[in-house]
Amino acid sequence: MLQYTIRRLLSLIPVMLIVSIIVFLIVHLTPGNPAYLILGEDSSQESIEQLEVQLGLDKPMVVQFFSWIGNVLTGDLGQSVYSSEPVTQIIIDHLGPTFSLMVISLVLTLLVAIPTAIFVVWKRNTALDPIFISISLLGVSIPEFWFAMLMVLCFGVAIPIFPVAGYIPVAEGAINWFYHLFLPAFVLAAVEIGLVARMLRDGMLESVNQDYTRTAKAKGVKESIVLMKHVFFNALIPTTTVIGTTIAGLLGGTVIIETMFTIPGIGQLLIDSIYRRDYPVIQGVILFIAAIYVLVNLLVDLLYAVLDPRIRYD
Amino acid sequence: MNFKKHNKISLAIFGIFLMIGLIGCSSEDVSKKDNTANEQSPGESTKGGTLHIAYASEPDTIDWMYTSATPTRDIGWHIFESLFALDNDYKTRPMLADSYEISDDRTVYTINLREGVKFHDGSEMLSDDVLASIERWRKASSVGTIANRYIDSVTANDDYTVEIKLKEVYEALLSDMSAPKSALMIIPSEIAEDAGEQPLKPEQLIGTGPYKFEKWDRGKEINLTRFEEYSAREETDWGGLSGKKVAYLDEIKFQIVKDPQVMINGLKTGIYDYAQAIPPDLYDVIESTPNIDPITYINGYSTITPDKSKAPFDDLKARQALNHALDKEAIAEATYGNKEFYKLDGALFDPDQKELYSEDGLDQYLAYDKEEAKRLLSESDYDGKPIKIMYSNNNENYKKISQIAKQQLEEVGFAVELVSYEWATYLEKWNDPANWDLVVIGWSTRFSPSELGMLVQDTASSGWYNSERWGDLLDDWGIAETGEQKQEVLAEMNQTVNDELPFIKVANETSFDIKSDKIKDYDSWVGQRFWNTWMDE
Repeated sequence: MLQYTIRRLLSLIPVMLIVSIIVFLIVHLTPGNPAYLILGEDSSQESIEQLEVQLGLDKPMVVQFFSWIGNVLTGDLGQSVYSSEPVTQIIIDHLGPTFSLMVISLVLTLLVAIPTAIFVVWKRNTALDPIFISISLLGVSIPEFWFAMLMVLCFGVAIPIFPVAGYIPVAEGAINWFYHLFLPAFVLAAVEIGLVARMLRDGMLESVNQDYTRTAKAKGVKESIVLMKHVFFNALIPTTTVIGTTIAGLLGGTVIIETMFTIPGIGQLLIDSIYRRDYPVIQGVILFIAAIYVLVNLLVDLLYAVLDPRIRYD
Repeated sequence: MNFKKHNKISLAIFGIFLMIGLIGCSSEDVSKKDNTANEQSPGESTKGGTLHIAYASEPDTIDWMYTSATPTRDIGWHIFESLFALDNDYKTRPMLADSYEISDDRTVYTINLREGVKFHDGSEMLSDDVLASIERWRKASSVGTIANRYIDSVTANDDYTVEIKLKEVYEALLSDMSAPKSALMIIPSEIAEDAGEQPLKPEQLIGTGPYKFEKWDRGKEINLTRFEEYSAREETDWGGLSGKKVAYLDEIKFQIVKDPQVMINGLKTGIYDYAQAIPPDLYDVIESTPNIDPITYINGYSTITPDKSKAPFDDLKARQALNHALDKEAIAEATYGNKEFYKLDGALFDPDQKELYSEDGLDQYLAYDKEEAKRLLSESDYDGKPIKIMYSNNNENYKKISQIAKQQLEEVGFAVELVSYEWATYLEKWNDPANWDLVVIGWSTRFSPSELGMLVQDTASSGWYNSERWGDLLDDWGIAETGEQKQEVLAEMNQTVNDELPFIKVANETSFDIKSDKIKDYDSWVGQRFWNTWMDE
C-alpha cells in the first residue's frame, strides 16, 4: 500500500510537468498583453515597453518558461503582475470561500442523496422508483445558472430570507458564514444530489440481485440489515468515484455560481486573471487545480482498498 | 412538467424549513447594516453608517497618479487631493493650495499651501511633500509628463510656499495640475520618493482626503473609513472635487460585484446602497422600483476611428465618404435607445464642461447624405477591398454601433468585414494597422485637449493621426490666457477635427448608476463622490 502510494505520488511529477508546459504555452500564446491592460488605451509605446521589461515579458518565451518552472520547483509560483502579491498567497486567500462552498454543498449532497437512494432501493418495486429517476435526471440536467437565478428570485428577493450575494469568512461567525453560503451551496448540491443518488441506487440495485444478498435473506437476516450491510457497502465503490470527482470539481472553482453570488473563490480568481492576462496567477491556479484533481483521484483509489478489502495494491 | 413542479415545491418546502431554523438562531447576526444612532431629526445631515457600493470593475491599483483608469480615479479621489481641483463646471479651483500668484511674464507660479493640513498618517503636509509629489507626477503620470516639458524647476521658498518656474509660457499648467486623472495627488515625501515610477502599494496609500484607505481584500472589497482629522476648506462645496468636504459616513465599502442583476437584487434587499454601471435597458425597471433612484452622469463619447496610415482612409476623400455615409442619429437611437443615455453633439468636450466646451466648428458632425457619400467614395482611392471594422465584444454598445455602421457603409459601396475580440486581445490588435481599418470605441470624459487619446499624434489610439494643424493648436492652447482666447482655440480644434476627420464622433454617452433612497444629498459629478452625502438609516 505504502509502496503503491509512493509510486503514485512519484508519477505526479511527469503529469504536473506536462500540465505546466501546456498551461504556459496556452497562456502565453493567447493574444493580449498585461502591459497594455495596466496602462490603458492611451498609453505611449515607450511606457508599454518599459513596463514589459519590468514584468520580464520582453525576454524570449523559452527563457521565461525556464525561469518560471525553476521557481515552481522550489515552491515559488511567482507574483501577480497586478498586486505583486505571491501567487501562493493569492490562491490561499481565495481557497477559503471555495473550500467552504465545497464542504457545505458536499454535506448537503450526502445528507440528501444517501438516505434517498437507500429509501428508493428499499421501496424498489413501487411507483417511487420512476419518480426518483425523473427527479434526479431533472436535477442533473437543470442549468446551474438558471436554477441559481430562480433560487435568488424566490428566496432572496420575493421572500427575502437569504442574502442574494456575498461571503462572510467562517472566522467572522459560523452562522453568518453558513447563512451566506447556503443558497449557492444548495444550487451546487442540486446537481450533485441527482448524480450521487442515481449512482448509489444503481449500485445497490445491482447487488440486491447478487447471490450473497439472496443468501443473507435466506438466512433470515432482517431486510434493513441486508440493505445496509450487504447492499449499501457494496455499492459504495462507484459512488466514491463520483464523489471524488465532485470534490475535485468544486475545489477547482465553480465559476458560474461564484460569479452569481459574488463569492471571491478560486473560480472568480481564475476568470479575473484570464481577463487581465495575469500570467503567473493563471498558471499557478491551473497547476493547483490539476494537482487537486490528481491527488483526489489518488485518495479515491486508496479509499477503494479501505471500502473493499478484496482490493489490494501490492 | 409535473416533475418540475414537484421538484420546485419540494425545494420550496425544504428551503422554508431551513430558513425558519436559521432565522430562529441568528436574527442578530443577519442584520445587514451597522445601525448608528440617529439623534437628529430626519432631513438633517447625520454622521454615521456604512455605505455598501456594488462596484463593477476592480481597479488594478488605487494610485490615482499612476494610471488614468476610471475605477482608480473614482476610488482614489476619496483618499487623495491635489493642489488644485475642478469644480462642478470643470473650472480650476485651489484645493490644498490656499492661493497662488503668477509672475508678469507668466513663467513663475508661486503657490501658497494651506496650513495645518494633515495626512492620514498624522503628519502635516508641507512644501517638501508637494515637491516630492510634483517630482513623481512629472515622471509617473501621463498628464505630468506633458507638463514636464514646460517645467524648469520646482522649489520650496518655505514650509508653505512652492515655486514652479517654467521654461516658456504654459497656461495649461493649472488645469494639468487639477486634472482628475493621473492626478497630481499630494502624498508624504518619503512615500513619493520610495515609490518613484512604481504604483503605490496598499500600505503607501496615504493622502489628505476626507476618507482614508483601510483595507483591500482583492477580488472582494476595498474599505475606506472617515478621516477624523480631515481639514476641510472653509468655503462651501463647489462641486466636482473642490470646496468644502465633509465625511458623514463611518465607512465606505466598494464591493466587487460583476453581475448587474445581482446589483439590483442586492439594492432591493438592502445588501448594497449604491450600484455602479447598470445597463441602460434596465432604466425603466429602476424608475418604477420604489426606494431606488437612478443616477446618470456624463461619460465621454463613442467614436469610429479610421486608420490613417494606409489605404483607404489615408485619403481624406474616403474619410469624408465615411462621415457622410453614417447616419449618427439612427446609430445612436438604435444603440442607446432611451434619450436619457445619449446626446448628439459633435464637440470635443461635453456641454457640462463649460470651460472646455465650444459649439462652433461642428458643421460636419451631422452630415449624413448617402448620395454625397457615394460621390466622394467614387472620387477617392478606395479600391473596393473589404475594410475591417474592429470592436471589443465586452461592450454591447460598440458591438451595436459596429453592426449598424457596417450596414450603412455597405449601402454607399464600401465592402465591410466585422472583427471582434475580447478586451485584452483587442488592445493588442489595436497596435498593428494590419489588423483593422476602423475601430469603434468609447472614450471616457477628458479634462484637457492634450488628454484626447484619439488625437495624440502618431499613436495607435489615434489611428496614426499626423497633423501639423492639430499640433499648432495644442501649442496655442498652452499659451491661451483668457477665457476668450481659450474659446477661440477650442472652436478651431472642433473645426480641425471636422475638416481632417481623424476620428468620427458618434454621440455623447451617459453612465447609469442606481442608489438607495436612504442616501441623501448625493451629487455624482463625472463619477461617484461620497463626501457631503449621508445616510438616513
